[in-house]
Amino acid sequence: MKDKLIKIESEFDSAYKEAKDLNLLEEIRLKFLGKKGSLNYVMADFKQVPNEMKKEIGQLVNKLKNKIEEKIAEKKQELEDKQNEAEINNAKKIDLTLPAKTNVGSLHPRTLILKEVEDVFVSMGFVVEDGFEIETEYNNFDAVNVPANHPARDMQDTFWLDNGQVLKTHTSAAQNRILKKYGPHCKAIFPGRCFRNESLDAGHENTFFQMEGIVVDENVSVSNLLYFMKEMLKGVFKKDINVRLRPGFFPFTEPSFELDASCAFCGGKGCSSCGGSGWIELCPCGMIHPNVLRNAGIDPDKYSGFAFGLGADRLVMLKTGLNDIRHLNSGNVSLLKQFGIKL
Amino acid sequence: MKISLNWLKEFVDLDGITKEDIDKKVNQMCAEIENIEEKGADIKNVVYGKILEVKNHPESQKLHILKVDVGEEVLQIVCGAPNVKENMVTMVAKVGGMVCGKKIGPAKLAGVESFGMCCSESELGIGSDDSGIVEVKYDVKLGTDIKKVLPIDDLVIEIDNKTLTNRPDLWGHYGFAREFSAIFKRPLNPLETLDLSKLEGLERIKIKVSTPACLRYSAISCNNITKTQSPEIMKIRLNYCGMRDINFLADLTNYIMLELGQPMHAFDNEKVKEIEVVSSKKGDKLLTLEGEEHEVPENSVLICDGNKNSVAIAGIKGGLMSGITEKTSSVLFESATFTSEAIRKTSRAIGLITDASLRYEKSLDPELTKTALARLLYILTYYDDGAVITSSFSDCYNYHYDKIKINVSADFISRRIGIDVNANEVKEILERLGFSCNISGENLEVLVPSFRATKDISIKEDLVEEVARMLNYGAFTAKPLAFNVEPVVQDKEHTLEYQAKFLLASKYNANEVHSYIWDYTDFNAEHKIETKPVLHLMDTRNAGQSAIRDSLVPTLIKFASENKESEENSVRIFEIGRCVPSIKEDGLANEEKHLAVVFSSSDCSEEELLVDLKNYLVDLSENYVYATLNFEREEPSQNYMHKVNTFAVKFNGEKIGYIGVISPIVSKTIDKKLKMVATEINFKELAKCRNYPKKVKVPSLYQSTHLDLNFVMNTSDTYADAVKALSKIRSKLLVGYKLVEVFENPLTPNKKSMLFRFEINGKDHSLVGEEIDGFMNDVINLMEKAGYPLKK
Repeated sequence: MKDKLIKIESEFDSAYKEAKDLNLLEEIRLKFLGKKGSLNYVMADFKQVPNEMKKEIGQLVNKLKNKIEEKIAEKKQELEDKQNEAEINNAKKIDLTLPAKTNVGSLHPRTLILKEVEDVFVSMGFVVEDGFEIETEYNNFDAVNVPANHPARDMQDTFWLDNGQVLKTHTSAAQNRILKKYGPHCKAIFPGRCFRNESLDAGHENTFFQMEGIVVDENVSVSNLLYFMKEMLKGVFKKDINVRLRPGFFPFTEPSFELDASCAFCGGKGCSSCGGSGWIELCPCGMIHPNVLRNAGIDPDKYSGFAFGLGADRLVMLKTGLNDIRHLNSGNVSLLKQFGIKL
Repeated sequence: MKISLNWLKEFVDLDGITKEDIDKKVNQMCAEIENIEEKGADIKNVVYGKILEVKNHPESQKLHILKVDVGEEVLQIVCGAPNVKENMVTMVAKVGGMVCGKKIGPAKLAGVESFGMCCSESELGIGSDDSGIVEVKYDVKLGTDIKKVLPIDDLVIEIDNKTLTNRPDLWGHYGFAREFSAIFKRPLNPLETLDLSKLEGLERIKIKVSTPACLRYSAISCNNITKTQSPEIMKIRLNYCGMRDINFLADLTNYIMLELGQPMHAFDNEKVKEIEVVSSKKGDKLLTLEGEEHEVPENSVLICDGNKNSVAIAGIKGGLMSGITEKTSSVLFESATFTSEAIRKTSRAIGLITDASLRYEKSLDPELTKTALARLLYILTYYDDGAVITSSFSDCYNYHYDKIKINVSADFISRRIGIDVNANEVKEILERLGFSCNISGENLEVLVPSFRATKDISIKEDLVEEVARMLNYGAFTAKPLAFNVEPVVQDKEHTLEYQAKFLLASKYNANEVHSYIWDYTDFNAEHKIETKPVLHLMDTRNAGQSAIRDSLVPTLIKFASENKESEENSVRIFEIGRCVPSIKEDGLANEEKHLAVVFSSSDCSEEELLVDLKNYLVDLSENYVYATLNFEREEPSQNYMHKVNTFAVKFNGEKIGYIGVISPIVSKTIDKKLKMVATEINFKELAKCRNYPKKVKVPSLYQSTHLDLNFVMNTSDTYADAVKALSKIRSKLLVGYKLVEVFENPLTPNKKSMLFRFEINGKDHSLVGEEIDGFMNDVINLMEKAGYPLKK
């Protein structure tokens, strides 16, 4: 029996060397370790082994079995490694330069920019309010102190409707409602679509977006307005902006200002974008007219506040590089889809 | 408007003040400067010269060869002007000099050498005459530089008119002189005028005013006026300020207008002896000075002579027949005030905006009519000492503005500005601007001057502005705001708008568009889309776009059709916008905010498109609104929606919108193969919907069993029918079920089957075979009873 085991071992040693692939190895495993394999075959004779030798033979058999199992496992690992390596080396080279198919739509550039600006205001504790597009004459004009005979009320400038209402000419039309809603402690912005009866060209639309904000509280002053506008513009443009106030005139504010920002293109030195002045007229603003506060039930002796406008469409054009405002309402998908979805 | 600095200097000493000072301070304290032009910088070495000899040019009929004495030398100059004559004194640009930026060099004209150029007024920019060279009629030393005699060097400041809208007092030089005196803290000289009280006793011109739109009408007449040419200084100032000089009388009225802001008119006194100011009637016409006939709109203000002939459209334009010419020696000067609305309305209606109408639109101070006449007569008699004033100051002053007194405290002003000022500082600032102030303690009683009291200043906040701007906004320091810290609750609807848009764009591959609030009536008609607008624009200039839309979908159909080609037949667009589907009981528009989406394609079926669109609505409502929507087949009220495949979108039984296929009646007019689907949701209603979010179920510790059962149904049966039947399952084992697939077989067109997968779980124990079989049999029986047998 001992001899047989020695023979099996030498047979295994030579067969093992010939195992070139995993299939052959499996055959070898079955040949030696399988149910009908040589080891089992030899073990059939174990009963006949004299008792005193059984221990020795048993140990020999186990040793041989362990050796074969180890060798096969070793070989298997070696062959698998080789196979993996071959598979890797022969792999198809994937062309990742092929165009990606992301299948994504797009948001309107106004949506993208307004959201970005709104977020700045929200971070400063503002509520974002909404208004109507079809307004009463009262809300659009009277409530914000536009005199009865003001030219803005003419049909040449305002879209009047056959029920006596108007397409709102400015976001200020929402002021009265918002001031009534929040009372004398109010920080709100309200973007919205506005309408003016004018001819279209690259810089003029009859349907455009404005964004307006108001801040009302006790003892709000011109100096506060100046501070606020600087901070706000820092948020909107993500950098420090130099500003200056100039006298302006709007019916809904007193005093009224034009706020200029130092020209972003030349840094204030003067260039063609700013007409050489170094300043760009950016937002109309002012201290809310006492009549506007009074019309909303707020005591203008006790409370004061300021309002400011941001030409939303101008901001969109400034930030996106669009040079013709008419694109915004064109519904031209091949243009609009380029703006993507980043909010 | 253009302001000449030389002119201002007549009223206020501005020595030592630079162009930069003006640019900075006036911009920040008064009005926007568009441009400051250095006049005279482009005129060099132009001197007085006398023509000694005029010879014909051998080669040219038009040209002459002149010998011109320019003081230290006599130059040969070839000149093309028709008015050359011997002994005439003119202006000569010498070689090396410059005329309006053009350098003068020696030249050969038709073969003859020329050393200089004789100039016309127009070439020098000092007058409008371009018919010939300047003929100097005053005494000068030959060879003197014209700049030494004439005020050619000047700064002309161009002010943006729109920043003067509320400042009628700044539409003339004297008003700006007052501002400059306040800004630069220099004294303002009084205006030199003729004392009109001297004229008392002379005959009064008969003036009758029968319209409230004329606030004041003043007039004075003169005769024996012989001067026809304006003095050089007047011509230069008019031209620098953008007006042409015409003749002395016309120039004089314009000069007063530019100086004081008060428009003036000169009538030929032979033709106009009395004045009647009336409201125009239908059909009234006027032939203007330029020879254009204008129909005067009804209820305009019309100036008539004593015989009811219209002689001017008040505040806008004078008539030709009564106008002055160079021969006129007898004149009636008008100085009047009209309401701004009356002038603006007429001016817009006839499309004629003039220097006068622009000023009247700003609400001029009626006090100014008298000052203007007194100033005009002063200048007239200064330059034409033969002129005789033939009437007293004749005046019809029907409307006086209220005198405005404002009480304000220095404390109020300080709080509003954010800078501390005391009563004396306020007083000093206001008085420089022409206000008068009485101080008692920290309180001031401020009297507003008439020229600021027509609409500009009436309340204490107006005084805040005056003080603030005179402190110079440029010198303000920014002061932080102090606020309570309170949580801010944002509007849910507004947030949902962004979510709805973002979901559509990021997951459903759709593009957001913006459109107009009106229907495209022509497009709709062409494509058989019927809308039911209830509101229209009054202005019908653009008739095809004057109906306010009752739905967003027709516009999106238009956009989808327009983008079809560029988007390779697959367009997915959406908009959240407003429309007006009805008028409320109080007559106001019922404005609604709608979310509308249109998917169109020629490559896939209507069903695929519609299912995808429905998926979006469910996705949005389940994941962002926490609401479960139902879809119920409903015959649409819109003709452009499909009669069979349109569904009401409902929440808790209330309709909040619709979804469906766009009727082929419409889509085929765009493209025979085009399939279109649309949905339109009332966004405000959607944002209000809310079921409580689903409760979280804790997963069972025991393994679930999944059973697939396939039930046979009629083709017309819906998933909802199957769900209704399955809702009768009472077994506590059921965790849930889902539809795996719908099988349709062309061989059995009336039948289909739905494969459901049921999940059952013992919850507190492992399921045993009998339980599973029991559940399965119950479901099969239940479905069979409902008419949906198990597929064998």
